Amino acid sequence: MPDLSAMLEHLPAFWGGFLVTAEISVLSIIGSFIVGLIVALMRVSEAKAARLFALCYVDVFRNIPFLVLIFFAYYGLPEVGVYIDAFWTGCLALSIAVGAYVTETLRAGIVNIDKGIIEVAKSFGFGRIKLYTKIILPIAITSSIRPLGSVFINLILTTSILSAITLGELTSASKIIASTTFRPFEVYVFLVIFYGALTFALSALIATWHKHLNRYNEV
Amino acid sequence: MIEIKDLHKNFDDLEVLKGVDLTIRPAEVISILGGSGSGKSTMLRCINGLEEISSGSVVVDGLDVTKKDELKAVRKKCATVFQQFDLYPHLKVIENITLAPVQVLGVSKTDATNKARALLESVGLGDKADVYPAQLSGGQKQRVGICRALAVGPDYILLDEVTSSLDPEMTAEVLEILKNLANDGMTMISVTHEIEFAREISNRIVFLDQGKILCDLPTADFFSADGGMADPRIAKFLSKMGTGS
Ligand SMILES: Nc1ncnc2c1ncn2[C@@H]1O[C@H](COP(=O)(O)OP(=O)(O)OP(=O)(O)O)[C@@H](O)[C@H]1O
Ligand SMILES: [Mg+2]
Repeated sequence: MPDLSAMLEHLPAFWGGFLVTAEISVLSIIGSFIVGLIVALMRVSEAKAARLFALCYVDVFRNIPFLVLIFFAYYGLPEVGVYIDAFWTGCLALSIAVGAYVTETLRAGIVNIDKGIIEVAKSFGFGRIKLYTKIILPIAITSSIRPLGSVFINLILTTSILSAITLGELTSASKIIASTTFRPFEVYVFLVIFYGALTFALSALIATWHKHLNRYNEV
Repeated sequence: MIEIKDLHKNFDDLEVLKGVDLTIRPAEVISILGGSGSGKSTMLRCINGLEEISSGSVVVDGLDVTKKDELKAVRKKCATVFQQFDLYPHLKVIENITLAPVQVLGVSKTDATNKARALLESVGLGDKADVYPAQLSGGQKQRVGICRALAVGPDYILLDEVTSSLDPEMTAEVLEILKNLANDGMTMISVTHEIEFAREISNRIVFLDQGKILCDLPTADFFSADGGMADPRIAKFLSKMGTGS
């Protein structure tokens, strides 16, 4: 018979893994947003080289399995003298890989802005930097907030793949508990609950933020 | 003074402006009439560099719009009001008006806000300062659009069919405001289909036909039987617009 109470004594171990997962998720969300923002700006830039680079970046990283990417970074790079520990390998790989999706999401938000609004700003003499910081990005981020939320929830779920490079995050912690207790059913029920808590918290945050940012669309 | 000389504008193979010459002096109010596709908007957009000119010249108070740094100065002198209002949706009414003064002209936030409030008051929208554009009617949006243009203290106001998206009642409230501006001595270049309005506010009427100026006459002459009306194309245009007595 499944017995969930048998898991109580392993809660500290779950909690340890949970904290690693939460930490890496938060850092990678910030990282992928920064990467995605920079590449999205290159993607819509007037410089051809920047646009080309951005396009290649997006295509490459949306077409590499994430597992292959982290194996390459964790096991492949040391061969050429680059050593990064599992935690930072995970953060970097997630930031770069998910950054490609953030790029496409933000780009859609930018190109969907009414051209008339941008022309008005130009006609008033806004330079490029102010045009982006005061008008284009605030509107683009507001309209992209929900799709960005989905991208980031996917990011949280993808962190479980980092168990493959020996990072002691939630999924590896659970595997260890399962192998010592021989109670995989109860262990994975708990695992689902922990991931659910993280993604639910993010969804709630996104929903609140969406509401706040979109206050101007309410009539 | 705005001096347009032999202005040509092509979009690829399509020649939209075929040598336009026009001079606009301070305090003049000029209405530009003409059929759809005759190049009215394009001409207006060439004045503040929203369209790159193909050949000829556009010079505003001695500043050449084809030179990048001079264009910047030109944009500070000319403010445009657009047909579709195009208010910044993410900013409150008051911020829509203060954004350019603060960010582009370096006016202090307090000064810009005070001026914006006064402008809103003058167009009867004193109570709308803190709402978002989505909460305004079309006529209210366009009045905000006019305030936004006035807030930068422009020497010239360019108007492109500013009432075309409005119903008659809202049109009247916007035209009233523009009329007052004209009376105050603002230099205005207005592309419009409102013939009666053009007649009432302008010193001069310019009629554009297929990318060329067909006539450029003082308003009274334009509407007289032996002036602009003598040209069959203009007479036809005016009768189609439901006026021309
Ligand atoms: N960006 C563009 N690319 C290609 N063609 C254009 C562009 N903008 C305008 N045109 C063309 O130039 C011609 C003149 O357009 P313009 O908008 O200046 O006319 P208009 O006189 O303002 O007409 P309307 O009264 O309908 O507003 C039209 O044939 C139009 O299709
Ligand atoms: Mg037009």
